[in-house]
Amino acid sequence: MTLIENFLITGALAGAVYALLALGFTLIYGVAGVVNMAHGALFMLGAFLFFAFGPLGSFGLGVFPALVLAAIFVGITGSIVYVLTIHQIIRDMLAVLVVTIGVALLFQQVIVIVFGAVFGSAYQAVPPLLDGYQTFLGVRVPNSRLLVAVVSLSLIAIVWTFISKLKIGRAMRAVAQDREAAMLMGINTTKLYMMTMAISASLAAIAGIFIASSTTTTADPAMWLRPLVMSFAIVILGGLGSIKGTIIGAFIIGYVESAVVVFLPQESFLASAFTLAIMVVVLLVRPRGLFGRRIELE
Amino acid sequence: MVANYVRRIYTNFATNIIDIPPRLLALLCFFILLVFPVTGPNVLLLYVLTYTNLIAIFAGSWDLLVGRVGQISLGHALFFGIGAYGTALLYKFYQLPMWVTIPSAIIIAVAVSILVGFPSLRVKGPYLALITMTFPLIFVSAILYFKQWTGGENGIAGLPSFFSLQFFVERGFSYSAALYMQKVSEYYMTLLLLLVSGIIIYKIANSKTGIVFVSILDDELASKASGINTTRYKLMAFAISACFASLSGAVFAHILTSIGPGGTLSVALSFLPVIMTVFGGIGTIYGAIAATFIIQILDLYILTDLVPIPMEWHPLIFIIIVIIFVIKWPRGIARFVVEDVLKELSKEREIEERGKHVWKKYKKKKQEATESAPED
Repeated sequence: MTLIENFLITGALAGAVYALLALGFTLIYGVAGVVNMAHGALFMLGAFLFFAFGPLGSFGLGVFPALVLAAIFVGITGSIVYVLTIHQIIRDMLAVLVVTIGVALLFQQVIVIVFGAVFGSAYQAVPPLLDGYQTFLGVRVPNSRLLVAVVSLSLIAIVWTFISKLKIGRAMRAVAQDREAAMLMGINTTKLYMMTMAISASLAAIAGIFIASSTTTTADPAMWLRPLVMSFAIVILGGLGSIKGTIIGAFIIGYVESAVVVFLPQESFLASAFTLAIMVVVLLVRPRGLFGRRIELE
Repeated sequence: MVANYVRRIYTNFATNIIDIPPRLLALLCFFILLVFPVTGPNVLLLYVLTYTNLIAIFAGSWDLLVGRVGQISLGHALFFGIGAYGTALLYKFYQLPMWVTIPSAIIIAVAVSILVGFPSLRVKGPYLALITMTFPLIFVSAILYFKQWTGGENGIAGLPSFFSLQFFVERGFSYSAALYMQKVSEYYMTLLLLLVSGIIIYKIANSKTGIVFVSILDDELASKASGINTTRYKLMAFAISACFASLSGAVFAHILTSIGPGGTLSVALSFLPVIMTVFGGIGTIYGAIAATFIIQILDLYILTDLVPIPMEWHPLIFIIIVIIFVIKWPRGIARFVVEDVLKELSKEREIEERGKHVWKKYKKKKQEATESAPED
C-alpha cells in the first residue's frame, strides 16, 4: 500500500517544519510569558524578504544567502518590535495580545504597500530551494521538502543544545522559572528577552521560507494567519512553553493533517479544521496540554 | 394633570440626563446622528453609517465580555456569523418571516455561546484567547463542508430587506428615490437598535450583575470565596455578549441581503471590536461605541474626502494609533473625555454652586446682623 507509506512520509516532513514553526512561539512564551500573535507575521516577513533577496527579487542573490540574510533581518526586526512595543506592557497579557495582533496587521499592510509599489503585486511566487526529487518506499519526495525537513530537525537540535548546555540557555531557563529570582542573580532580563525574541523571530522566518518555498510556493500578505493558528494548535496540544511538548505536538498535527490529505483527498480543505478540533478536545480533557506546566489554581 | 406629567417627565429627564455631562454628550451625539440624514448624504455613506451602527453594537458586546468579565475572546466573529447564517438559513429553507428568523438566530447563537463558554470554565488567559480564535475557523470549515446547504464560499444571496423597494415605488417614488428612502429607513432602524442595545449593555455592565462581572475580572478566586458561582456568571456574560453580537450579525444579513464567510466570519471582523474597544477605552461600553464612529468617520470621510490619503494607508494609520494607545495611553479616548475632561467640568460647576450657596448664607447672615443691629 503506497497510501500508508505516503501518509508516514508526508506526516514526518510536515511535522518537522511545524516543529520549527511552533518552536519560536513556545520559546518566547516559555521565557518571557509573551503570547506573540505576530509570530505568523514574522513568518510572512521571512518569506517576503527571502523573495526580495532571492533570485527572483531585486537583489538577485542565491537561495541560501537569501535565506540566511532574511532570517537575520527578521531576527533583528523581532527584537526591535520587542523593545518598541512588547517590553513596555509585558505584565499585561491582554495588552500584549492586542499589540502583537496590531503588529501582525501592520506588517501585512506594510508588505502590501511596499511590495505593491516595488514589484507591482504583493502576491509573489517563491523559488524552491532545490530541484528534483527522491523516491522513498515508492513515494516521490521533492528534494526541497527533504532538505527543509532535515534542516528543520537540525535547527531544532541546535536550539535544544543551546538551551540545555550553554550559559545563556541556562539563563533563559532560570528566567522562565522565576523572573524575579533570576533578576536578583544578576541576569539582565531585557537583554535576554530581546535575544529570545530574535531567536524566535528567526525561527519563524526560516519556517516561513521553508513552507513558502517547498509547500505553498507563493507568498501573499494574508499568509500569516494559517501558520499562527497551526502554532496555536501545536503549542496548546503540547503545552504552552514546553519545548518537548511542542515537538511532539508538531508531529501529531503533521500526521493528522497528512492523514486527512492522504486518506480523504476530497475533504483536504478540512485538514486545519481537524487539527483545531483535536486541539479543542485535548484542551477540554487536559487544559494544560500534553506536557504543559501545571496551571496554578488562580 | 397633563402638564403635571409633562413636568415630571421633564424633571426626570433633566436630573438624569441633562445634569450629567457625559450623558448630555451622549445625547448630543445621538441627536447629531439622528439629524444627520437631513444633510443629504449619498447612498453609500448612509450604508456605511448603517454598518457602523451594527459594528458599534458588536464592539459593545465584545467590551462587555472582555473589558468587564476578562474572558478574552478573539473569535467574536463566530457570534456575528451565527447570527447572519442562522437567519439566512432559516429564511432559505423555511421561508420564515424576519421577525421569526432573527430571534431564532439569536437564540441559536446564545445556545452556541454557552457551548463555547464551557472551555472558558476550564482554560484561562492566553489559552482561552487562542482557543476562541479558532472557533470561527472551524465554523468556516463546516460552512465549506456543507456547501449544498450553505453555498460554500459564495454564501447565501437573495435575503429579504427590512424595507422593500416595492413599498416605496408603489407610493410614487422614483427608483433612485426609493433606494434612498430604503437606506434612510435602514439607517434609522439600526440607529434605534444601537440606542436600545447600547443602553441595555451599559445598564447590565453597571447593574449588580455587572459588579459581579468586574469582581471576576479582578480576582476570580476571591469572588469564588465570597460565594459567587463564577461559572454561572461567566456563562451568562458569554450569553449576553453573544446575544448582541448575533443581533448585529442577523440585522447585517438582512441589510446586505447576501452573506458569505468572508464578510461575517473573517479574522479581520474578530479583530475589529478589539481595535475599537482599545481605542475607546476598554471596559467602558460607551468607549467602544464612540470609537467605532470616530474610526469609521476618520476612515471613510476625513481621510478619504478632506485629507485624501491612499486607501491602503488607512489601516496602517489606525493600527499605529491603536498600538500607541495601548502602550502609552491605555485608558482610551472616551474614558479620557468622560472621566477627565467632563468630570473636571462638573467639579468646577459644583464648586461654583457650593460657592453660591456659601455666598447666600453669608449674605443672609450679614443681613440678619444689620437688621438686628439697630435694635441694640
